[in-house]
Amino acid sequence: MAWQNPNCIVHAMQSIRRTAQLRTFLQTPNVSPLRTNPTSILSQQRKHVRGYATETLTEVPAAPELTLEDFQKMPARVVPVSPAYFSGSPKFIDHLLKLENILAKWAALPTVPSTEAPRMAWFKLTQFRDFVGESVPTKKYKNLVKILQRLNRIDPKLMPGEVRKTLTQFLRPGNPYANKPTPATVDEMGRSRGKGKRKTSSAVVHLVEGEGEVMVNGKTLIEAFPRLHDRESATWPLRCTSRLDKYNVWASVRGGGVTGQAEATTLALARALLVHEPGLKPVLRKAGVITVDARRVERKKPGHVKARKMPTWVKR
Amino acid sequence: MVFILGVNFPERNLVQKSLQSFFGIGGVSSSRLLARFHIHPTCKVGELANKQVLDLTAALSDMKIENDLRRQYLDDIKRLKETGTYRGRRHALGLPVRGQRTRTQIKTAVKLNRMERRL
Amino acid sequence: MVSSFCWSCLTRLRSTPRAVLPPAVTAPRTALFHTSTARYAMPTKKSKSMEGPAKYRQAKSAKMKKKKPVDKVRPPPVGERKALRKRIVLSNPNALEVEGMQDISAETMVDARLRGSVLGLPVPMLTQLRAVEAFKPTQGWSIFRRPGTVVRRETLELGRLIDGISGDGQDKGKAVKKIVTGVRGSGKTVHLLQAMSMAFTKQWVVVTVPEPQDLVTAHTAYAPLSDETPHLYVQNHATAALLSRTVNANAQVLKDLKVSQEHPALKSAVKAGMTLEELARLGIQDPAIAWAVFQALWAELSATSAAPGFEKSFKPRPPMLVTVDGLSHWMKNSEYRTAEFEPIHSHDLVLVQHFLSLLKPGVGKSALPNGGLLLYSTSASNNPTIYSFEVALKQVTARNTGLSPSAAEFPQPDQYRGPDKRVLDVFDSPKPTNPKEGMLELQTLGGLTRDESRGFMEYFARSGLLREQINDEWVGEKWSLAGGGVIGELEKLGRRLRTIN
Repeated sequence: MAWQNPNCIVHAMQSIRRTAQLRTFLQTPNVSPLRTNPTSILSQQRKHVRGYATETLTEVPAAPELTLEDFQKMPARVVPVSPAYFSGSPKFIDHLLKLENILAKWAALPTVPSTEAPRMAWFKLTQFRDFVGESVPTKKYKNLVKILQRLNRIDPKLMPGEVRKTLTQFLRPGNPYANKPTPATVDEMGRSRGKGKRKTSSAVVHLVEGEGEVMVNGKTLIEAFPRLHDRESATWPLRCTSRLDKYNVWASVRGGGVTGQAEATTLALARALLVHEPGLKPVLRKAGVITVDARRVERKKPGHVKARKMPTWVKR
Repeated sequence: MVFILGVNFPERNLVQKSLQSFFGIGGVSSSRLLARFHIHPTCKVGELANKQVLDLTAALSDMKIENDLRRQYLDDIKRLKETGTYRGRRHALGLPVRGQRTRTQIKTAVKLNRMERRL
Repeated sequence: MVSSFCWSCLTRLRSTPRAVLPPAVTAPRTALFHTSTARYAMPTKKSKSMEGPAKYRQAKSAKMKKKKPVDKVRPPPVGERKALRKRIVLSNPNALEVEGMQDISAETMVDARLRGSVLGLPVPMLTQLRAVEAFKPTQGWSIFRRPGTVVRRETLELGRLIDGISGDGQDKGKAVKKIVTGVRGSGKTVHLLQAMSMAFTKQWVVVTVPEPQDLVTAHTAYAPLSDETPHLYVQNHATAALLSRTVNANAQVLKDLKVSQEHPALKSAVKAGMTLEELARLGIQDPAIAWAVFQALWAELSATSAAPGFEKSFKPRPPMLVTVDGLSHWMKNSEYRTAEFEPIHSHDLVLVQHFLSLLKPGVGKSALPNGGLLLYSTSASNNPTIYSFEVALKQVTARNTGLSPSAAEFPQPDQYRGPDKRVLDVFDSPKPTNPKEGMLELQTLGGLTRDESRGFMEYFARSGLLREQINDEWVGEKWSLAGGGVIGELEKLGRRLRTIN
C-alpha cells in the first residue's frame, strides 16, 4: 500500500543510495570516517581496481624433484620426545616416572623413621602446578609426595647424590623450617611464662618454684574460681604431674567467662610447666592439657536465627 | 482482736497492712504513721501497746480518711461539673479526664468516672 | 524469559495485566530496617476447648469445666518453718566416733603439741554454746559424731591469751580488743566459738551478739530512750533477748554473784542480796525495763569493788568475753525511722552504741575493768560494702604499726566517696592510758598451714567421711585447691569426696 505513494518511492531510492555509500565506507576502514565524502571514496576505489589489472608477474619456480630415500629415513609420523606427550599432563608423568625409577633403583637402601628424616618443604599443590604448568589433580600429587617422602627417608648418610639432587627439585623456594621459634627459657628470676587461649579468654601464667600458692589476677584461687571444678581444671597440669606443691603460679586472665578463663589458665600453665620440665611433655599430652582447643563460637549469619538455625518454614 | 478507729483487726495482721485498709491511707502515709509512733514496720497488730493503739486512733481521726475523703472527692467532681469545665464534662461522660487516648483502654474510666464516682 | 518486546515489529507488547501475575511475596512481618531474622511461623495458638470442629460423638457445650476444689492445707504454725531453717544439728550417729579425741579444757587449750588436731567441745558446754547461738546452721556440724574444732595457730594464741587473762601472771585482768577479719570461709565465726568455749571453761561471763543484722533491720520493737535524749533509741525486746542469752549461758557464774550497788533506775525491783541472775531475769520478764536492767547488770559485772554497804557479799567479778559476729551491718543507717521519718543511724541505737563504745578506751578505768576479751568479727557473706568501715579497718592497722594519725602515710578516706564520720570515729581510739587495756587490733585469719590441714583432713578420714590415703601430697593438693588452706573450702572438699569412692 505504501508503494502507491510517489513520495515513498523517492524515499526508498534515497535509502538504497545511502546504504551503497555506507557499504563502501565500511569496506575502507583505514580512512577516518570524519573526512569521508562520496567522491573521495569513489576515486580510491578506482585506484584499487587499477592495481589488480597489472599483468607483469615473475615466473613461479618448479618444485624440486622428489627423492624417495628421504621418505625412507623419516618415520611415518612425528614421535614426541616424551612418551607421555599425549597424556594431557606429560611433564607431571615424566616426573612421576623418574621418581619411581629412582625409587626402584635405590629401594634397597636402609631407611630411617619418618620422625628422624630431615624435614623438607615440598611444593604445595598450586606451586607444583605452576612449576609443571599443568593442572595436576590433588590425589595424584599426593601420591607423588608420598614417593618423595619415601625417598627422603633413605638414611641421610647413605643417600646417593642423584636422589638428593632430584629431591631438591621439588623443594619450595626458601626454607620455611629454618626459622624456628627460640625455645622458651626460665628467666633470671626463675620464672617461666606460658600463654594459653580457650573460647574468648586468654591467660598468661608465670610459674616459679615454690610451695603451691596460686594467684589469679591478684586474687586467691577460691576468689577467682568459686566453683571447685574450675579450680581443679585450672591447676590440672600441676595436679596430673603431682607438682602442685612445687610451684607457685601467678596467672592473669582476661576476657570470656569463668570456664573459659579456667581452661585458658590450664593451657598457659601447662606451657609454662613445659619450660621448667620439658620431659613432662608426654604426660601432659596424655592428660590433654597441651592440646589447644581451637573451637570458637560460630558467628551468627543473616537470614538465620542462630549460626545455622533457619527460621521456621511456613507455607504462605 | 484490736480496735483501731472502730474497726476490728485480727492480731496476726501487720499493722502497716491494717492501716492501709482505710480509704485514703496508702504505703507512704502508713509508713509515716508508724514512724511517728515508733512502731517498727514488721509489727503485728497484737504486739501494739495500748497507748500506741490509742495514738494511732487519735492520729487517724485527725486525718481526712474514709467517708470524709469520699465526700470530698464527690464534691470536687460536682464542683468541676457545675462550673462547666471540660474535666467536669469528662467525668459526667464517663471518659478519661486527663487527656488520655480514648481509642482503646478506657475501661477504668468507663467503670469509675461518673457524677457519683464510685470509690 | 520472554522479553516484552516483539522482535518482528519492534513494538512494545502490552504489559501483562496485574491480575495474571503471581501475587508479590507477602510483606515480611518485621520492619525492613530490622537486622534480626524474622521468624516466619505464626506463634502457636493456645488450644481452646471450644474451638475447632466437634469430634465424632462428642458433646460440645459452653459449660465451663469446674475447677477441682483445692485441698486447703493449713499453713504450718507460726515460727515452725523458721525453727526448721534455724535448726542446728550437732551430731550424726552414722559418723564414726573419733578415738582419742580430746576435749577443750584448761590444759588442752594452751598445749602447743595439739596444734593441727581437732579438739571436741565438751558435751555439757553445748547447751551453753547453743544458748549464746555460737553455732550457725550453715556450718557442717551435722556430719560428725560430735562437734569439734581444729586447733590452729590463732587458736593457740587465743588460748594463751584467755589463760593469761584469767591466770595470776602479768596478764591478769587485761582487756584485749580485737577485730577479726578474713576471707570467706576462713573460720572467723568458729574462732569466736572457740573463744566462747575457752571462756566457758575459764568461768568467764560471755555476752554475744550472734546476729548484729537483726538489730538494725527494723524487725524488733524500738522506742526513744528518754525525753532528755530524743535521738537515742532503745530496743527493749532485743535487749531482753540478749539478757536471756546471757543468763542462760552464764547461769552458773551469775548465781554466785550478788548485787553490789544501788540502781536508782530500778529502785523498787532490785533488792539487796539479789543475785545477778535474778537481776537479769527482771529484764527478761518485763522488756520495758530490759535496757535499765542490762545497764545495771553491766555495771555490776564491771564493778571492781562494792559500793559502801554492800561489801560483805562482794565477790570479784570474772573477766568477760564480748563477741559480735558481722560488724559491718552496724556501720550504716538502720531500717528504723524517727518520728519525722528520717532514717536512724545504727549508732543511735543504744544497744549498738554500747557494744561499739567498748572499742574506745574507757574513761578513767578500762573498758572491761575486770579484764576480758572483745572479739568483733566481720562477715564475708551477706555483707554490706561500707567504704568508711574499710578505711576505718585500715586505719586501725596503721595505728597498730605506730603511725600517728597526722602522718602522711596514714590512710585517709576519699572525701568524694562520702565517708561516714561516725563510723571512722568509732574506731578512732587513741592509745589507752590504762596499762591493763590493750589497743584495738585487727586480726586477719588466713588459711591453715599444711600440717593443720593434714590434721583436719585426717579428722574427716577418721570420722569415716574420707576413704583416701591421707598423705602429704594429697593434702598439699587439697591445700592448693582450697586457696591456700581456707578451712571452709577444705571442709567442702572433705565433704564432697565422700560420694566419690
